[in-house]
Amino acid sequence: MNASRGDRAASAVRDLPGTTPLLELRNLTVSFERLPVVAGLNLKIGRGEAVGIVGESGSGKSVTWLAVLGLLSGAPLVQGEVLLEGRDIIRASERRLSEVRGGRVALIFQDPISSLNPVQRVGSQVIEALRLHRGLAGAAARAEARRLFELVGIPDAGRRLDRYPHELSGGQNQRVMIAMALAGEPELLVADEPTTALDVTIQAQILALVERLRREMNMSLVLISHDLSVVAEVCDRIVVMYAGRIMETGSTRSLFSSPSHPYTRGLLGAAPVLYGKPQRLAPIRGHVPEPWNMPPGCAFEPRCTYARPACSTAPPPLRNLAPDHQSACIRAEELPVFNGT
Amino acid sequence: MTVLRLHEVRRTYSTRRSFFGGTEQVSAVDGVSLCLERGRTVALVGESGCGKSTTGRLALGIELPDGGEVTFDGMPMPRPGTKAWRALRRRMQLVFQDPLGALDRRLTIGVQIKEPLAIHKIGKPAEHEPRMHKLLAAVGMRPDQADSYPHELSGGQRQRAILARALATEPDVLVCDEPVSALDVSIQAQVVNLLSDLQKEFGLAMLFISHDLKLVGCLAHEVAVMYLGLIVEQGEPAAIYSRPAHPYTKALLAAVPDPGRRGPRPLLAGEPPNPAARPTGCAFHPRCPIAVSKCSRVTPALLPGADGRLVACHLAHVDNPLQERVS
Repeated sequence: MNASRGDRAASAVRDLPGTTPLLELRNLTVSFERLPVVAGLNLKIGRGEAVGIVGESGSGKSVTWLAVLGLLSGAPLVQGEVLLEGRDIIRASERRLSEVRGGRVALIFQDPISSLNPVQRVGSQVIEALRLHRGLAGAAARAEARRLFELVGIPDAGRRLDRYPHELSGGQNQRVMIAMALAGEPELLVADEPTTALDVTIQAQILALVERLRREMNMSLVLISHDLSVVAEVCDRIVVMYAGRIMETGSTRSLFSSPSHPYTRGLLGAAPVLYGKPQRLAPIRGHVPEPWNMPPGCAFEPRCTYARPACSTAPPPLRNLAPDHQSACIRAEELPVFNGT
Repeated sequence: MTVLRLHEVRRTYSTRRSFFGGTEQVSAVDGVSLCLERGRTVALVGESGCGKSTTGRLALGIELPDGGEVTFDGMPMPRPGTKAWRALRRRMQLVFQDPLGALDRRLTIGVQIKEPLAIHKIGKPAEHEPRMHKLLAAVGMRPDQADSYPHELSGGQRQRAILARALATEPDVLVCDEPVSALDVSIQAQVVNLLSDLQKEFGLAMLFISHDLKLVGCLAHEVAVMYLGLIVEQGEPAAIYSRPAHPYTKALLAAVPDPGRRGPRPLLAGEPPNPAARPTGCAFHPRCPIAVSKCSRVTPALLPGADGRLVACHLAHVDNPLQERVS
């Protein structure tokens, strides 16, 4: 796999002339034992922008963001640049990185109960975050923790501060995680499958909460999910990843109305829809390639019904199709008109 | 043709309230009736704790109901563990969410598919090998994958192997509890299509337990929406999805992320209810946007509505249609 190809590839951007994006990934490559699981990723996150990252298991969608924040375990090789307002944080000191983490960039995960300390009251965990990132202590910290609990919609906030994680429901614990993430007044919230373990009714509540907070606090959001319909609920722009690369990116509207990569079309066709006649789903044949078994060309080529011999020569770069739409398919313009799922 | 029938089944568990406190009765399933017919799929949907998985275990006779009755081919379900029950078990199979947990890591797929044939003494031992290969082919696996261990297969392949094993005994009834929840969407579609194909081929009666309303809509012939141990609405998915009659069904559908929907939508307030603290009257009334005082006193019965669907709501059965009242 040739990571330098990404240099020439168009970057997934929503270009705002004259402004530095809040966060920019330049040719980010993450390898484990010399096998790249993220290969030459270029991505910009604008201030206040909500970007959805979609992909199946093994697409590198979570690894990318753990690498951005220096949270990968094992011995990964992280190459490229991660620029937070133009300053590289990949090679930053551990001290500076821990200021960024939970401060300017906050993370929430799928499983709140394993992210929280089970033997510490949820309130004191939020207070600790307030002490670390905002230097608050004593009554002021407690009052702020209570305000954050109220902000994320935890009923009876004053008393819930003194509860332990196991005394709260999954949805309440996810609200606690969000309150803790907000403690550092982040400019960017990275949410990795934040609603996957929750009931659909609670998922709707949490998504609505994230959406409201983002607007009120003018926060940027990166929402990582396996479910296109979940990110479409709250994101302006969607990035579709497959096997460590961006296959397609565009505004939510254009991605759904004219998906321009066979993989995106495959995802849309395989997902059942709520309204409409019962119909047979259209699966994507085969399975995601393992990092040690990557095809030489487009990673999706072995599963693609539109593949041509040219697809197996080299991983195709992202190309501009429209100002807000890019695809890494060499046949993007030749794909038949998309007539819905 | 009805294979399995649940009639007013109930299941109550005892839990200890606190270290010193006495026990407390928690009603997981509170009078559920269902009919599983050959070649048809009934889906159970609802939030966690609504009793859908317990209903599945009651249907298979893995658990005994405290009240009501389960009949198989018109005969009462024998007690679990008895010889008669074991004989019936080969005709009913269960498929779980977690394919790795349901397979034995130390045995090859082929051995595990042949196992039920030996346990239930189906056919001559010499016939087991070719039969296993037929089953593998039926679920779309390669013959050489018989020699694979579970960890050597992908999630979708494992779920196929489990289906092959479940089909080995030529069951009449298949109970699937979140069978594809752990799979990626592209693979999920493969397994869902496979389930429909197998149902057509073998005339299986299926009980499909899922939290995914979209998935249920594309494969079930009938859907039953459960809330705190009771069915609140039951009928044809297309009819229910387009015109939900129960406020809970309406809320559940509104919560499903759907790229086609635009603008704000009603959010269901509150948490999924605790079965240990069941509200009086209609269990949904504390979260219901249209509840009236009667709803907190009287439990509504599950009654047939205009298009033949069943609804348990006081307000769905009055003259003015609920649609207008809710919106």
